[in-house]
Amino acid sequence: MMTTILLLIFLSFCIGTGVWVFFIYAVKKGQFDDIEAAKYRMLDDDDEEPPTPSTNQH
Amino acid sequence: MSEAERQSCVHCGLPIAPADLVLEQDADQEFSFCCHGCRGAWLIIRGAGLENFYTRKELKHEPLKEIHSSQFDRTYLQNFVTESSTGAEISLIIDGIRCASCIWLIERYMQQIPGVLAARVNFATHRLLLRFDPHLVEITQLCWKLSQLGYLPRPYSQDELRTSMESERRSLLIRFGTAVFLSMQLMGFSIALYAGYFEGIDPQTRLLLQILAALVTTPVIFYAGYPFLRGAWFSLRNLAPNMDLLIAMGSLTAYSYSLFALATGREVYFDTAAMIVTLILAGRLFESSARHRATAGLDRLLQLAPATASRLVDGQTDQMDSRLLEPGDLILISPGDRFPVDGLILNGCSEVDEAAVNGEAIPVFRQAGDRVKAGTQNLNGTLTLEVEAKAADSFIARIGRMVEQAQTRKAPIQNLADRISGIFIPTVLSIAVLTFIYWGADQNALLHAITVLVVACPCALGLATPTAVMVATGRAAEEGVLFRGGDTLEAASQLNLLAFDKTGTLTEGRPQVIAINAVNAVNDQLELLCCAAQLESGSRHPLAQGISVEAKRRQIFCSQLANIQQIPGKGLIAREEKLLGGSAEFLREQGILLSETLDDSTASEVHFAQDGRYLGSICLQDIARQEAAKTFSLLRSQGYSTLLLSGDQPGSAKKISESLKIDRWLAPLTPEQKTLEIERLTELGNKILMTGDGINDAPALAAATVSCSIAGSSDIAMEQAGLLLTRPNLLLLPWALKTSQKTMTIIHQNLFWAFSYNLIAIPLAASGKLLPVYGAAAMALSSIGVLLNSLRLKRISPP
Repeated sequence: MMTTILLLIFLSFCIGTGVWVFFIYAVKKGQFDDIEAAKYRMLDDDDEEPPTPSTNQH
Repeated sequence: MSEAERQSCVHCGLPIAPADLVLEQDADQEFSFCCHGCRGAWLIIRGAGLENFYTRKELKHEPLKEIHSSQFDRTYLQNFVTESSTGAEISLIIDGIRCASCIWLIERYMQQIPGVLAARVNFATHRLLLRFDPHLVEITQLCWKLSQLGYLPRPYSQDELRTSMESERRSLLIRFGTAVFLSMQLMGFSIALYAGYFEGIDPQTRLLLQILAALVTTPVIFYAGYPFLRGAWFSLRNLAPNMDLLIAMGSLTAYSYSLFALATGREVYFDTAAMIVTLILAGRLFESSARHRATAGLDRLLQLAPATASRLVDGQTDQMDSRLLEPGDLILISPGDRFPVDGLILNGCSEVDEAAVNGEAIPVFRQAGDRVKAGTQNLNGTLTLEVEAKAADSFIARIGRMVEQAQTRKAPIQNLADRISGIFIPTVLSIAVLTFIYWGADQNALLHAITVLVVACPCALGLATPTAVMVATGRAAEEGVLFRGGDTLEAASQLNLLAFDKTGTLTEGRPQVIAINAVNAVNDQLELLCCAAQLESGSRHPLAQGISVEAKRRQIFCSQLANIQQIPGKGLIAREEKLLGGSAEFLREQGILLSETLDDSTASEVHFAQDGRYLGSICLQDIARQEAAKTFSLLRSQGYSTLLLSGDQPGSAKKISESLKIDRWLAPLTPEQKTLEIERLTELGNKILMTGDGINDAPALAAATVSCSIAGSSDIAMEQAGLLLTRPNLLLLPWALKTSQKTMTIIHQNLFWAFSYNLIAIPLAASGKLLPVYGAAAMALSSIGVLLNSLRLKRISPP
């Protein structure tokens, strides 16, 4: 009984810690700096590969 | 190609003035442009294979307007580039971004340039972070390419204040995330402990769960709750109890009592301690993100006057920092540029958009001998300017200083919560001390004193304001109203006088046709309008655009005339058709006999003549917003008095106040006079809301109790505004004021609830009659009651 509880507590703690570490990583990488952009960028992704730039630009 | 397509520019979508028509032959197709700049931009976009840009729908609403022809100075830009082993990096603020399409275009286009490693635009701040290889491509080249697209890049130096604000936001987010994660772990242990309390639990398991709960709570209090602890410490040191002290006291008493209970084998309440920290952190985070959204415009405003200028020295231009310009220097201003300093025009003539200064949408004609102000925009001619004042003394700089002064003069609002904790905390502490002294000889004296602190745990009090503010600001944001913080919300509920600016706030800021006066019986109104539209449809002058809009509204589609000559500040001539349009003065110059003109100074009149014969005139006026009348009747019914502060002519101010039934109006006022009036009225005891949109309103906004600004206003007005209507709809204002009042009602109910609980519980605890476990249960109940009551704000009906 006791070992089961301990094991479960330990497991939930590990999973939680994993998510927490991932969250900290995301914040540090600036994932939350511009939350406005995601909804627009999603629409842009299905464009075809941008062609290589031509040489006759000004 | 259809008629409609021929009439508007392929790139910017604006109508083409026939004189300006530029054609581009491509295979078997012909494309028309309104200027060479647009053609250039189109060629670039096509050349890069990004034609998709034109199919993107948003473009139709907000066409690109200006093509910048600025020069970029290498040594100046180089100061902002940071080099590292992986390449160089620069942050640029991009002027001219209007929609998601612009961002898409900039990113795609920049990324295709050889040598550019990454280009990323921030949607909120319009900041482009550019990483590039300095060996392959130069920064001046990149800036030039951006300006060729029609966007003006400006280097962005990250000052300390801004950096610290950003890192503070991040650390708040991490603290909140940590608190949530640990609180979730804690909930599991707490539920087990509560279940054990009712159903019985093995003492050893209980001890284990209690120790685990203590372990996860400790970081919540001391790491996540650190901002409160620090704030509490400062407030103690300054002997000025505030909200932080209340929160710190609440969480610390619950935490330390639980530790004590753990040691003596009683029930623990770690969950209460962790909950209050987590919930209030959520509130803080919410507030900071609302504030962040509202200040996004700041970066763009700070440099309204351009940072560089082309100085003329011995016939040569040389690019320099505009801060270094001295009075007497000569500078060259290209079309589309803003003036960096105040100055006197020596050479050239042009129309100048002075909206930044006086909010007036119609450009003013300026020629040699006239004075121009920094921050206004040169529209269509190249000007040589003699500098009259240093950049630091320019109009824009003076406005900036006035704003600062107004802000420092204004007394800070003391929050209700701060005032309450100022009374509550000393009272509870003295009761606890008195209890201890009273029970002095008893061995339970300390326990009773602690019980007083625990039941008085100001959790409910601490939650009363933040939760209500959080729910209300969230609900308001859904409707397009941004409150910058709890203090704004509170102040907005106490207003009695509402002051408004006119142009752009109460009106659309765009002239519309109000009357068509055809003199000849032969010409009916529609025919005159058709002639006018033929003549004016190519011009970008606001009056011309007003006429074109009216023609379209009445479904008059007529072909555009060729060979139209534009005479800046006067009017238009179509030589072949002998059609004239412009001011009365201009027609008289051309030898046309005019019938009596209207002497209504509030409207602008455009006169037309053909073959030397006067056709009539069209009256345009910047009329009130559609919803203005309803807004004012709502505001009146809510019991506010209203005041109009206009920089415009008395005539139009009087007219609009009469039509909207505004209580009092003052015009014409300078920015200084507006500020003085607000300050005078504030001293008389009024709580004033100032609503404005222009740079000229900024000092008055700063002086008012609460300032409000509407979508589409100048950046400095939005920056100043405590209350921001993110949709161009005045009806949101009465709704926002009502919401703030409802929020205050809820806060008062919350406080009443929390106090009455304390009023009953503290005497019981002091007399030693209350078991701590009942105290804790009551405490949790009162917190939940406060939460549920605050959530009622979520159900405020939409405006």
